[in-house]
Amino acid sequence: MGLFGQPRLIKMAKKRERLEVIRDILKATKEKRNIKPTRLLYASNLSPQMFKEYVDELVEKKFINIDVVSDKKTFSLTKKGFEFLNEYKVLERFVESFGL
Amino acid sequence: MDVYSFVIANKELFKVIYAIIVISISVVIVLKTHRLFKLSLHNGIRYFRNAFFFFGLGFVSRYFLKFIFDIGALFPYAQISTVLFDFFLIMAGFSLLYSLIWKKLEAESMTRSSLFNPRMLIFSLMTIIIVILGLVWHTSYLFYFSQIVIFLIASLIALANVIKRKSAKLQRWYLTAMILALIAWVLNTLAEIFYQFNQAMLINTYATNMIFFLIFLYGVIRATKVN
Repeated sequence: MGLFGQPRLIKMAKKRERLEVIRDILKATKEKRNIKPTRLLYASNLSPQMFKEYVDELVEKKFINIDVVSDKKTFSLTKKGFEFLNEYKVLERFVESFGL
Repeated sequence: MDVYSFVIANKELFKVIYAIIVISISVVIVLKTHRLFKLSLHNGIRYFRNAFFFFGLGFVSRYFLKFIFDIGALFPYAQISTVLFDFFLIMAGFSLLYSLIWKKLEAESMTRSSLFNPRMLIFSLMTIIIVILGLVWHTSYLFYFSQIVIFLIASLIALANVIKRKSAKLQRWYLTAMILALIAWVLNTLAEIFYQFNQAMLINTYATNMIFFLIFLYGVIRATKVN
C-alpha cells in the first residue's frame, strides 16, 4: 500500500538473460581488480547457489581466474573475459537480430 | 535462348557453381558464429551455427561426394550421397528451428557437447527415421514434408518476433529468409508431385534457395560487424 492507502504497483525486475549475468559478473571483476568473492556476489545480484554455479563455469571456461594470496581468494579477469566484454554488444546484437 | 534454356543447357556447371556458393556461405556463417559461440556458449548461437554446419555438409555430400562416386564408377554408392544430403538437410532444419525455441524447452546451460547432447540426439533419431522411411517407401515426400513443416513453424515464430519488435530490421530479413525457404520446399514438392521435375521449376527453387542463403550471410555479417 502506498503512503495514502492507494495500491502500490510493484515493478518486478526483468529476469536477466544468461549473457547479461555473465556480463555483470565480468564487468564487476574488471572494475575491481582482484575482487573478493563476497563483493562479487553482491555485484552479481545472484543467489549464493546461482553465483557459485556461474563462477565455477566461468573459472572452468577461463573467463576469470582465482588468485590465492595469503590464504585469501580473489577473482581476476582473463584475456577471454576481456574479449567477452569487448564483444558483448556484438553478441547481444546477434542474439536479438536472429531471435535466438 | 532464354535464361532457363541457357541454364538447362549448362546444368552441370550451374549446379557446381550453386554448390560452391552455398558451401562457401555456410563456411563463412559457421566460422563467424563459432567465434561468437566460443565466447558466449549461448545455446541459440550453438544451434544456429549447427544448422549451417549441417547445410554445408549436406551440399558437400550431394554435389561433391556424388561427383566422386560417379567419377570412380562407384554408382551403387551414389545413393549414399543422396541419403547423406537428406540427413544433413533435415538436421539443419531442426537445428535452425530449435535455435528459435530452445529457451522455452531447456534451461540455459554453459556446458554440453554441440553434437552429442540429448537434443541433437533426438533430432538425429527423428531424422534417421524420416530418411529410412523414405528409403523403404521409395519416396521423398516425407523429406519434403518434414522441411515444409519445419520452415512453416520457423516462419510463424519469425513473424511473431517481428511483430514483437517492430524496429528490428534484421528480424524482418530473417522472416523473409524463412518464408523463402518454405516457398523453396513447396516448389520442390510441387516439382516432383505435379510437374515431373520440370527443369524451369527446379531452377526457380534453386534460385529461391540461393536468396535464402544470401540473406543469412548478409544478416550474419551485419550482426557481427564491430562498430
